[in-house]
Amino acid sequence: MKAGRFPASLATPVLLAFAVFIVAPCVMLLVKGLEPTAETGEWPDFTNVLGVFDSKIGQQALNRTIRISLIVTAVCMLAGYPVALFISRCGPRWRGLLLAVVIFPFLISAVVRAFGWTVLLGDSGLANKGLIALGLIERPIALVQNEIGIIVGETHLLMPYMILSLLAVLQRIDPNLRHAAESLGASPVSVFWRIVIPLTLPGLLTGTLLVFSLAMTAFATPFLLGGGRTPILTTLLYDYAFTLFDWRLAAAIGIVLLILGILFVTIHRFVSSRGMRSYG
Amino acid sequence: MADFFLRSGRGLVTVMAVFWLVFLVAPIVVTLASSFTSSTYLTFPPPGWSVRWYLSAFESEWVWSTFWNSVVIAVVSTAIAVALGIAAARVLARHRFYGRGAFEYAVLSPLIIPGVVVGFALLNVSVLIETQDAGLLNLIIGHTMVTTPFTLRSVWSSMAGNDLSLEEAAQSLGATRWSAFWLIVFPLIVPGIVAGAIIAFTFSFNDVTISAFLSAREARTLPVELMSHIEYLPDPTPAAVSSLMIVITLAFFLLVERTVGLGVFADR
Repeated sequence: MKAGRFPASLATPVLLAFAVFIVAPCVMLLVKGLEPTAETGEWPDFTNVLGVFDSKIGQQALNRTIRISLIVTAVCMLAGYPVALFISRCGPRWRGLLLAVVIFPFLISAVVRAFGWTVLLGDSGLANKGLIALGLIERPIALVQNEIGIIVGETHLLMPYMILSLLAVLQRIDPNLRHAAESLGASPVSVFWRIVIPLTLPGLLTGTLLVFSLAMTAFATPFLLGGGRTPILTTLLYDYAFTLFDWRLAAAIGIVLLILGILFVTIHRFVSSRGMRSYG
Repeated sequence: MADFFLRSGRGLVTVMAVFWLVFLVAPIVVTLASSFTSSTYLTFPPPGWSVRWYLSAFESEWVWSTFWNSVVIAVVSTAIAVALGIAAARVLARHRFYGRGAFEYAVLSPLIIPGVVVGFALLNVSVLIETQDAGLLNLIIGHTMVTTPFTLRSVWSSMAGNDLSLEEAAQSLGATRWSAFWLIVFPLIVPGIVAGAIIAFTFSFNDVTISAFLSAREARTLPVELMSHIEYLPDPTPAAVSSLMIVITLAFFLLVERTVGLGVFADR
């Protein structure tokens, strides 16, 4: 590592690109979102940003975004844990294959995956047929174009992040710890609760924060599976931009999403530096 | 007793894991299967098999024009993102300077900023400076910025293990800085570059969020066009197009698996 001078010839083009195409547009968004609503108003005017929380549709979208993100995170946690545990216990051959099963969907376009779900969850789809065959329902119920569709789609979108975060910590657990505990008389159940669970907490936390923040900001999945009547913040931003042409309100939602994004990364950094320290 | 708990616990974990693994592949399998349907509407399992929707997809003008747009955007933005990623990785791996943390934060910032915000912010600027009709250019810029963090991370991690003294030795033996880089450093980071490029290409080719904002007027990408067709067109042509996109992604996935291994995804 060379100490000292700023490596201008290498760093300048990179910094310039990010300043012009990321920082400047975000600043412009801030300017736009804080534009005064009234003719006589002064900049900055927080009416629009606060209006996101005040208006009925904005409030509904915000509540729905948080509700869906919490449910998706909980499902990813409960579903991802056994999957990660199962994969970590497999032999190298199976592990490779199952890892591929987890990672492959994660590369496929969100549109394509949402499309698969519209077929599966539609009125004559496999999910409804299965529920009818099980006797749980009598006639097809609406599983897409509502919150259920968004939850299923986002769970599918984000579960790989949870599984990979958990696998990263599961693979680092020293098998000797388990052997030591067992030789000292611990039952498999207490080994699980007192060794495996605590040692995987940092991964669980990383995965949880990642899934929650990505659930809050997902766009294509809620757009296609939620339909027009269940807007969340991101799809509401799109609606304001392209159907209602109110760019000031769209920018205001953008500011809210930007703040949420930065907030989660800050929490994530804080938590992961803490987590590393206490778990070695 | 402990044995009973162990076995039923393991059994429960296996059952749950298998269920959720099936859940992960289900929409992909269903999309592939239903694209071969012989009927004019989508059902699973299909009543009969045919390739008519693939023929219909190949005959559709929108499929070809948007496919080429997507390829051009992905190729150009990946190339720029790789160049930016190498430069940034070199800065971060080799230099310590005041503001290095800020530099890292800036280059990785597209991972923090939600995609809809990047897309809308860029659209907002392009309208302001009246370049909103240069769809291809806007899309290339957007995709480049968002994929640079991927190429940076992948190249950076392949630089991390390199021995600096090799490069210094070459320079002390008379190699110029450039030839030392090309002959010593570059061959060592090729795996990182390949992995980063494939991830960037796949991301760009499949992206909807940023593209939905920037290709609003012209130069639509395949996923964005597909999205509007899924919304409005109820025939199975989108299923065939989706399946083709799955196959393309699978090709890149296998390329990563064979060349650098799946670790590039798992290590993140």
